[in-house]
Amino acid sequence: MAAKSLYSCMRSAQTTLFVSGSCTLRSLLPSSVTCVQQVRHRRYPAFIVRPSIRKPWHVRKWTTKSDGDLIASNEAFVKDVLIDKYTGVGKVESPLKDGPWERNPFVHGTRRTGVLALKLGTTEQYTKEGNVFTVTLLQVLDNHVINYVPPEVYATYPSHRPHQGEKFGLQIVGALSCDPRMFSKAYNNLFMKAGVPPKRWLTRFLITPNAAVQPGTPLCVNHFRVGDHVDVQSRTRDWGFQGVIKRWGMKGMPASHGVTKSHRKMGSTGGGGDKGGIWRGKHMPGIMGNRLSVQHNLKIWRINTKYNILYVTGPAIAGLPHTFVRVSDTLIPTRRIKEEDAGNLPMPTWYPEDETEPIPEELFDEQLFRFTDPSVEITS
Amino acid sequence: MALTIKSVNMMMPVVQRFGPACCFSTSQTLQEIRLLARMRIVDNSAIGKAAAEIGKPPRVIHVYNDKRVGFLGDKVLVTVKGEMKRAYIVGLRQKQKPNVPRMDTNNIVLVDDNGNPLGNRITVPIPSALRRKGGDITKILSLATKFV
Amino acid sequence: MSLRLLVCIPSRFGCLSCQHDSTCSCDAAKKTHHVINYQRTQTEILQALRPKSNFLLSNVVDKHRLSPLQQGTEAVAVETETTAPRDYRFVMPEFLPNADYRYRDRVLEKLERQDMLRRRAVIDIPEFYVGSIMAVCVSDPHAPGKRNRFVGICIDRSGQGLRAHFVLRNVVDGLGVEVMYKMYNPTVLSVEVLKLEKRLDDQLYYLRNCPLEYSTFDFNMDPVILPRGSQVPVNPIKVKLNPKPWEYRWERFNLKGIEPISLTPKMIKGIEKSAEPWRQNDLMMMYRSQVHEEEETEIMAEVYKEKHRIDSQKKTSRAAQRKNK
Repeated sequence: MAAKSLYSCMRSAQTTLFVSGSCTLRSLLPSSVTCVQQVRHRRYPAFIVRPSIRKPWHVRKWTTKSDGDLIASNEAFVKDVLIDKYTGVGKVESPLKDGPWERNPFVHGTRRTGVLALKLGTTEQYTKEGNVFTVTLLQVLDNHVINYVPPEVYATYPSHRPHQGEKFGLQIVGALSCDPRMFSKAYNNLFMKAGVPPKRWLTRFLITPNAAVQPGTPLCVNHFRVGDHVDVQSRTRDWGFQGVIKRWGMKGMPASHGVTKSHRKMGSTGGGGDKGGIWRGKHMPGIMGNRLSVQHNLKIWRINTKYNILYVTGPAIAGLPHTFVRVSDTLIPTRRIKEEDAGNLPMPTWYPEDETEPIPEELFDEQLFRFTDPSVEITS
Repeated sequence: MALTIKSVNMMMPVVQRFGPACCFSTSQTLQEIRLLARMRIVDNSAIGKAAAEIGKPPRVIHVYNDKRVGFLGDKVLVTVKGEMKRAYIVGLRQKQKPNVPRMDTNNIVLVDDNGNPLGNRITVPIPSALRRKGGDITKILSLATKFV
Repeated sequence: MSLRLLVCIPSRFGCLSCQHDSTCSCDAAKKTHHVINYQRTQTEILQALRPKSNFLLSNVVDKHRLSPLQQGTEAVAVETETTAPRDYRFVMPEFLPNADYRYRDRVLEKLERQDMLRRRAVIDIPEFYVGSIMAVCVSDPHAPGKRNRFVGICIDRSGQGLRAHFVLRNVVDGLGVEVMYKMYNPTVLSVEVLKLEKRLDDQLYYLRNCPLEYSTFDFNMDPVILPRGSQVPVNPIKVKLNPKPWEYRWERFNLKGIEPISLTPKMIKGIEKSAEPWRQNDLMMMYRSQVHEEEETEIMAEVYKEKHRIDSQKKTSRAAQRKNK
């Protein structure tokens, strides 16, 4: 019930804001929403409970309606129309027609947009000293900028967190164009302004306003440079409902010696007395996986511009192959892009018009062994 | 997608992977040098020969590293015929990195307290990867007759 | 009771049930599809708790790559002109990808193949099998001549893509020595086959428990050259195992390259216990344990074509060198 009242409260706040424009959302919220409930003197992990309710401000994505009775020739005709609508010249109103937005230089504190990529799998590469290491391949496939929300508007959103202030805007990015008949009308309407086909996956990146990209702009792998470091977020594999042995690595109980029916159970759940009872955050059976996992500070070793592939360090990116991952510039202070190093950094993103010469198909890091090179003769 | 007779015939010899189907003790299969692991002395020291004659292999009673598992080039403390001796590991049965040889026996070379080898000849090949290490192990390498 | 509730209570499941029943009214369901259904049946709860795939299947991804709506990324070209000879996959097994369909990806495999063929253009990795006698030269900074040569019999060959490797075994000064080499490691300077032959088994790890003479090979051995166009010979040698203890229970592996073992009753019991006769009839398992035949011909055709191009390039460069001399 609490969630519902919060939702209705936010909706009313938004509507009033459009009228008055002077008050903030937090002043309109009831005090019980903004205050933090006191907990015991222990910090609990926040990821224990899976949110059972979807975000109320998200529109419904998929539709169950289908044109099942279309004959084959009609189906082909509809597909032709769709392709012509989105790839034909000037069929859809694209915001890019009005000319590009103003481009700013990279200054200290700038946060650029990221891209959505598909995890393809892992393989091995070698350094010039002959040492082997694992890399993960990420493909940046069919990415478009869908929308930009300036900071002052974002501050009124229910998803806005107070500590962010009015520093960051939202860049909404989508990946993998689809047939619009798969989605609901409300979801399709999100892509109307950008003039691109509806996307299978949508995400948002917090950016500073000087790095805003115009909606409708395609993003590709040249957004990043070889040798830079990125943060990669993805969802772990979904294991469904699992017991404590698999989920938390508990020991279980012996197979024999009088143990009955509790070989894979957790045993005691806590003590009695003053601090008795089951504390919040107790490791118990439940739904395992499908959680966001972040890998910080992964180096880009190699880029393939033909297939839009990034080779990043390590086997640790979560999820099975063909999971969606969010790739953005790292926030680690020592590895963050500095103003003096940002000479050839694409800002706010890479445009094909910038390049005078055709870009090479493959870009390598200096320390990476290229397989066209002669064998490594170790000298020291 | 059709499963043809030809393809079935080709698949019939299912590739058999060696290795234990089910094992609970990892130290056995990993062949790690832990406490009480039995070794083989490969130098020509008198005490090593005497131990080999009576058929009592030396046993590891301490590994001088933080992990307490002996790897190539590590120093260990062994008991030989009731005496405590220090030794260096110069060959392992354990799975090794690429280009590093894996031996059929766990080999050690005995040294005294100052790090000088007790014998004056080593009878088996020594991994070439050990030559990268410095320190007392260079004294052992000078006795070696062959590197692989 | 539960079915009636389903229809009346506005929920996702209520909507689905209404598709078949046009008479019932589900206006409420259309409005509020986010309301939680507190009266879910056991089946619905189990459905909600099951693992959901948060990844795309590879055929969906391929469809997106080939879609006309997708622009900016090239799709992988399929080789259709040439065809490789049959059983070419036994010559270069590492070019076949991992058979597990969840870990397959066309682009990744293509890029890996590209790297492997580039490396093969630099050094010559000849055709070899388990049982062949090989010599490998690796870079070693401390060795005289800065290189370390090892000769031995190939007892294992596995790994896919750039992870491919093989294991050589030999006896040096009365001690069995095995070295694992990665095939595409840049520190491997040369690979040569001294004697090309096959053995009766896929892996020869049982040589560890055999007399040392079976795995002893001369380091200065002269290469044995087969007549042109001849088939790869199979060495039908049957080795004799040492008495126990063994590395593994060899009697359970159905080995063809060893002399018959005198089985004890305990061994027979173990063989019966560990045997899996149903695997011979499990067609689905066989189907999944191998790359599909059509895909195999596509991959091998590409490799065959590229390999021929590399070989012809090498021939012309060698001829040019001879002329210069």
